[in-house]
Amino acid sequence: MIPDSDAEVISRVLAGDTEAFAILVARHRDRFARFARHMMGNREDAEEALQDAFVRAYRSLGRCAEPDRFDAWLYRILANRCRTAAARRRRRERTFVSDDRALDQAWSRPEVERSEWREELARALARLEHKQREAFLLKHVEQLSYEEMSVLTRDGVSALKMRVRRACVRLQLFLKDGDQIRGQHV
Amino acid sequence: MSDEQFDDLIERVAAELREPVALRPDFDARVMARVQQARPRGMGRVLQWLVAPRQVAISPLTGLAAACALILGFWFALAQGRSSRMVAPAAVERVADERLAAEVEVVRFVLVAPGANAVALVGDFNGWDTGSTPLRPVGATDVWSVEVPLVRGAHEYAFVIDGREWRADPAAPRAGSNDFGPPNSVVIVGARAS
Repeated sequence: MIPDSDAEVISRVLAGDTEAFAILVARHRDRFARFARHMMGNREDAEEALQDAFVRAYRSLGRCAEPDRFDAWLYRILANRCRTAAARRRRRERTFVSDDRALDQAWSRPEVERSEWREELARALARLEHKQREAFLLKHVEQLSYEEMSVLTRDGVSALKMRVRRACVRLQLFLKDGDQIRGQHV
Repeated sequence: MSDEQFDDLIERVAAELREPVALRPDFDARVMARVQQARPRGMGRVLQWLVAPRQVAISPLTGLAAACALILGFWFALAQGRSSRMVAPAAVERVADERLAAEVEVVRFVLVAPGANAVALVGDFNGWDTGSTPLRPVGATDVWSVEVPLVRGAHEYAFVIDGREWRADPAAPRAGSNDFGPPNSVVIVGARAS
């Protein structure tokens, strides 16, 4: 049996079959969970942003101009939710590690359930500016083309290329910093 | 670090980040619970169903049969009307109208749009369809207007000028954060004291 396309599911939801929205949730949640997790830096905030994105998508489903590209539309909503949530969190507290002393403290905190490499990577990613992190994830992790990214972010292709390049350079520097800090603690 | 090493590092990073991320097992249930809460209820749901655009596919034969049935029904109603006085329907309609009137208010939307050739009203009540609720120019002025029956509650809306420019109502409060583009306005129907 051929599963309903996103557009067909959306038609059903708009016709009153609310439960059909669960098909869209199940179909797209894993991919978007990864993006949200890396954008937000922790599972709780990521799940909250993703939930918000799905509920907002449901409320505005009639405005999805290209139902066959529901995933691209949802990406835009989620990216905005992550941006809003991150800004709110920055105002509320300094969660992301942003200075060397905090970095040292974070490094010395035992994180038994994660590998060293993952920890180091998460910290490096968290140190990127929000837009650089978003561009890096869309390009290298979600493997979108620059044209697709441009549609999602409403930024120009040249600006996005520059942003991804800078993100890569900064990631490399941060990961090198991590090596040095680790060396000091060994 | 050479270019090759640099590319290799970025690929390692990307590969690590592409690993699946686990969600709590009840994630879908929590989303659907919030979706159910967000679902329009009562008349709002009925109205949404009525105004939501959808495609209907019927065969030519079915279409022909439906057309014949309509003509026959119309002819029969005319014949009945001639042979006996029509009773009851008007009263039934009046009761239905009164029930509906308790839930629905007619709202006039007005926009001053100098130089516009067409203005449309879009909102959650018409599926954000730019073709379903056009405004009409008021005389030879720049004022455009349309009246729309809306069920009680808060409705988000905006105007679309010449099919491309999305504009919030300058005379109405703005909706909360909008992830999808330009800001919308809000109209609250039934807020006045009854």
